[in-house]
Amino acid sequence: MADDEQPSDSSLLVIIVDTNPNQRYITEDPKVLTGCLDAVIAFANSHLMQKSRNQLAVIGCHFHKSEYLYPSPGKPLDVRQIDGQYELFTLVEKTIKMRLVNLVKSQPLDEKPGESLLAGALAMALCFIARMRREATPGLKTSSRILIVTGSSDTAAQYINYMNVFFTAQKQQVLIDVCSLDKHLSLLQQGCDITGGLYLKVPSLEGLLQYLLWVFLPEASERTKLVLPGRGRVDYRAACFCHRELLTIGYVCSVCLSVFCKFSPICTTCHTVFKIGGPLPIKPKKKRMKV
Amino acid sequence: MADDEQDPKEYRWETGYEKTWEAIKEDEDGLVEGLVAQFAQKAARKTIAQKRGPVRLGMMRHLLVAVDCSEAMNSQDLKPSRFICTLKLLEKFVEEFFDQNPLSQLSIIAMKNKRAEKITELSGNVRKHIKSVQGLTNMALTGEPSLQNTLELAGRVLRPLPGHASRELLVLFASLTSCDPGDINTSIQALKTDGIRCSVIGLAAEVRICKKLCQDTGGEYNVVLDDVHYRSLLLEHTSPPPRARSLDAGLVKMGFPHSAPPTTQSDASANADPPITVCMCHLEEGEGVGGEGHFCPQCRSKYCSLPAQCRTCGLTLASAPHLARSYHHLFPVEPYEEIPNDGQAQYCFGCLRSFTDLDKQIYQCKRCHSHYCWECEGVVGTTLHVCPGCASRPHLYQRLPDAS
Amino acid sequence: MSESSSKSKSLNLNPAPTLQCKDLHEYLKSRSPQFLETLYNYPTICLAVYRELPELARHFVIRLLFVEQPVPQAVVTSWVSQTYAREQSKACEALSELSVWQEAPIPGGMPGWMLSQSFKKNLKVALLGGGRAWSMSMSLEPDGRARDVSFLDAYALERWECVLHYMVGSAQTEGISADAVRILLHAGLMTRDAEDGSAVITRAGFQFLLLSTAKQVWLFLQHYLQTAERRSLSAAECLAFLYQLSFSTLGKDYSTEGMSNNMLVFLQHLREFGLVYQRKRKAGRFYPTRLALNIANVRGDGGPEFSLQGAGAPSGYIIVETNYRVYAYTQTTLQVALLGLFTELVYRFPNLVVGVVTRESVRQALRGGITADQILHYLHQHAHPQMLKSETGGIRSTSLLPPTVVDQIRLWEDERNRFTYTEGVVYNQFLSQADFVVLRDYAKQQGVLTWQSERARTMVVTRASHDDVKKFWKRYSKTS
Repeated sequence: MADDEQPSDSSLLVIIVDTNPNQRYITEDPKVLTGCLDAVIAFANSHLMQKSRNQLAVIGCHFHKSEYLYPSPGKPLDVRQIDGQYELFTLVEKTIKMRLVNLVKSQPLDEKPGESLLAGALAMALCFIARMRREATPGLKTSSRILIVTGSSDTAAQYINYMNVFFTAQKQQVLIDVCSLDKHLSLLQQGCDITGGLYLKVPSLEGLLQYLLWVFLPEASERTKLVLPGRGRVDYRAACFCHRELLTIGYVCSVCLSVFCKFSPICTTCHTVFKIGGPLPIKPKKKRMKV
Repeated sequence: MADDEQDPKEYRWETGYEKTWEAIKEDEDGLVEGLVAQFAQKAARKTIAQKRGPVRLGMMRHLLVAVDCSEAMNSQDLKPSRFICTLKLLEKFVEEFFDQNPLSQLSIIAMKNKRAEKITELSGNVRKHIKSVQGLTNMALTGEPSLQNTLELAGRVLRPLPGHASRELLVLFASLTSCDPGDINTSIQALKTDGIRCSVIGLAAEVRICKKLCQDTGGEYNVVLDDVHYRSLLLEHTSPPPRARSLDAGLVKMGFPHSAPPTTQSDASANADPPITVCMCHLEEGEGVGGEGHFCPQCRSKYCSLPAQCRTCGLTLASAPHLARSYHHLFPVEPYEEIPNDGQAQYCFGCLRSFTDLDKQIYQCKRCHSHYCWECEGVVGTTLHVCPGCASRPHLYQRLPDAS
Repeated sequence: MSESSSKSKSLNLNPAPTLQCKDLHEYLKSRSPQFLETLYNYPTICLAVYRELPELARHFVIRLLFVEQPVPQAVVTSWVSQTYAREQSKACEALSELSVWQEAPIPGGMPGWMLSQSFKKNLKVALLGGGRAWSMSMSLEPDGRARDVSFLDAYALERWECVLHYMVGSAQTEGISADAVRILLHAGLMTRDAEDGSAVITRAGFQFLLLSTAKQVWLFLQHYLQTAERRSLSAAECLAFLYQLSFSTLGKDYSTEGMSNNMLVFLQHLREFGLVYQRKRKAGRFYPTRLALNIANVRGDGGPEFSLQGAGAPSGYIIVETNYRVYAYTQTTLQVALLGLFTELVYRFPNLVVGVVTRESVRQALRGGITADQILHYLHQHAHPQMLKSETGGIRSTSLLPPTVVDQIRLWEDERNRFTYTEGVVYNQFLSQADFVVLRDYAKQQGVLTWQSERARTMVVTRASHDDVKKFWKRYSKTS
């Protein structure tokens, strides 16, 4: 968890935007996506406005692949100021919109949209953050965080990927914030809890920009000072490998830590044969001490 | 077990004269920059390459760390002194150990005055261990250590543990002598038959009996060069060792507490005011009354932090992320393929860095065929354990365990 | 008994005139609200002011940005958790000082806050778009002879060092314009020599040399703006243009079209100092350099210099060892000269200078009016990247410089400040030991006794308490 109270010299924000067309709010009204995107871009620019050394990356997560929307690989776009907007902000807006169009255009036509692969996008974000850390001027204090804006639901199929990403983020002191536009996301909420980020399910898409600016704009060192929504309770029960059901008491393979809801003589994950005679007896600790 | 004589490069002076400078060659432009970058990459990767180990690991570890607290620890060849340096590194080690092995248990032993004393009991409580390590700072370093007494104590602590648990002893040994009451060889034999794996990190010089101990019990013996080397040696012991043959496998019953008491259960008291609960971990200190906690699903004792072992019914309590921490050992990413950079890709898929002339080699995932720079390859292999390319492709993101 | 106020004041015998370097916030604070109001008509200034605000104030502004009516002050207070109430009031104060927001009553009589209309409008423009473009660069044809970033860096460095070289009076450079000299004189960094009227560097000038480049430029421009008004340039317009430059992109060209004559004059001045590059006076386009871009980054509070980085520009170049040796990887004579201010130079190689920090060399610098803090700050800010990276056995040291050197330099400074001066009143010639003891004990009780000697029956009390002690003495001598 990021517990350094020192204000940082620069802060790096990676925004992951879920652009999967099968999100409910998009299937209901495709125009809403533009509104959400505008809000995200305005938020991204507000982040850059905070400090001159702040950095930004935006990743678009589509159903067939994820791609960086900003910065663009290679040479940046040649953008000239068209109105009173700060040139850098114009560049951000133009780049994101152009690259998003390319991303959507590249989707295979014969495939049905599946689930959004946010874990992959998170892994990319962590690689990017690791690179920025390497390239940072030595001695400069940087804080990094990731914001996920999504209307998809999360499924257990990505569980291992999610967990690996969360633990890496925790280790690298990267906060993961989640802004859910539609459903409650219990897996991603766990990620927020593990990394010390904030989880918010917005009640309506109307004032999305306001929600983003109020809750997610402050960086880690500032969050303690402001009154922000609390963490809430997080469900940490494990799901068994056999039926994917949440358990309160289960059996764990001592070799590979797979979780099962019933005793079985052989581990289906690592094919270890267990000693016959039922589960190992549990000896209360105190007794064991006396032995 | 390799004998001394079978290792031809036993001593530095027995190896050939290394002409290190001959490896440096200028390129067409007469520059060495590219080559130097390549050397740096190789050195950085060397440590990573070794880590790809066996898949069956002893995940539930029981490790005793014996710290030499004898006079020999006063020496100042490690700054500020051997002892202070050891404690500082040990703190880091404890944290890292529980990060890597969340369901394991640790105990710290002090070796001083020919005796071995337990500083902390075998437990999974990180804070307690760190606190007692910090408390050791002011300890008076006296007398000689006794290796045999330490081994005997380790045997006594580890022997009664259930068969599926791995049993390990790690000795941080600064003294060149050991003051033992009897024949140490019988102790070593006893540990060997019990399947206790002993490793030693020497702070001074190589000692034969330590080497023999490690060889016989299947552990590792190393002597530190300096503090940085010490740190890397110590941290190597945080990753789980290959599972010893003698270990039994078993299914362990485990509880996954819900942070809130489940509302479905209609206790008589559930509707009334929240009952006054006492946290079991703080029972002795008299703290931890009220507040939130995790309830043992079997006997409903309360614990303020997980993982823990229920003091009442003995059930191991954990949360799903604790188990998930070790999954990367079971489902490791497939190593990337090293290919020469012929302009297949302009930039790294993971971090967007443009490839330059200094990148002589780039890396490619065999499954998703994305290209990566050597730094991202390192990040993915050592910490991330997820291939960003595979994880964002619909056909590849699920990594089902291999049947082999 | 008699009393005499013998010890007199002068809190410091050698008052070192420490150089004041105001940041934008302090600079604007000292201006009139009307001036600020005109400034807030420029989106660039709004952006710059926004970044200068305390962190909490920035969040207040962004939360109020889309609100049209005044917001109760109590609501703003409730945004911040109780433990940080001090920071919260500081943030509010900063916003009021700069007239970013004004008090506005809310129907119902509660006091409320409302952002200044022009500030709100123009910050929105900068963030979201709309309004007029800052310059007429849209119509600019691509430059046939475009300049890359490394060229601009080298150019900027050369121009700026030209000014610094002039200050230290090295003969190797061409002179600088009369305008620049006037600014240096106005800023008190140089002064006219009494005899031949030539400009010579002052104490403040030496301190100026030890500042980071970004701070030097900003300080210099502050004085430029002060003199600008006399030359019928509008300070607001100049400041807006400066910040427009600081928010431009390095390596891009901008058009001079549509700029007023005054601004073109200003541009030529900036060209001389290396803030912009122009191939020819009438080229119709200019390139801002890193010096201009860094104006918005002045806030850096003593950290290592990150500003002038990039190809060609020097990053840190000094390594300090625990044995007081200083290694400077540099070729420029200016940097060598600066180092020579407080070190004894030992060796000199084409790209490396080795010096030793000695008591004598530091004392000489101290005598010249340079403070220990400034020396340490200079060493810190130009520290070599290797020093930033250095890590020993996993235990990271807190300071960049070797603590021995830091402490010793401070001790050498303290050596010179053995006297502390306090104003006081002497009481002596007591008639009896008892009288003395009574008065001394009274003074001690009140905590105002500065010094006393029982043998000489002399005591000194602080000046502020003189009346009180005298009254007590009167009362005492009457009763006894």
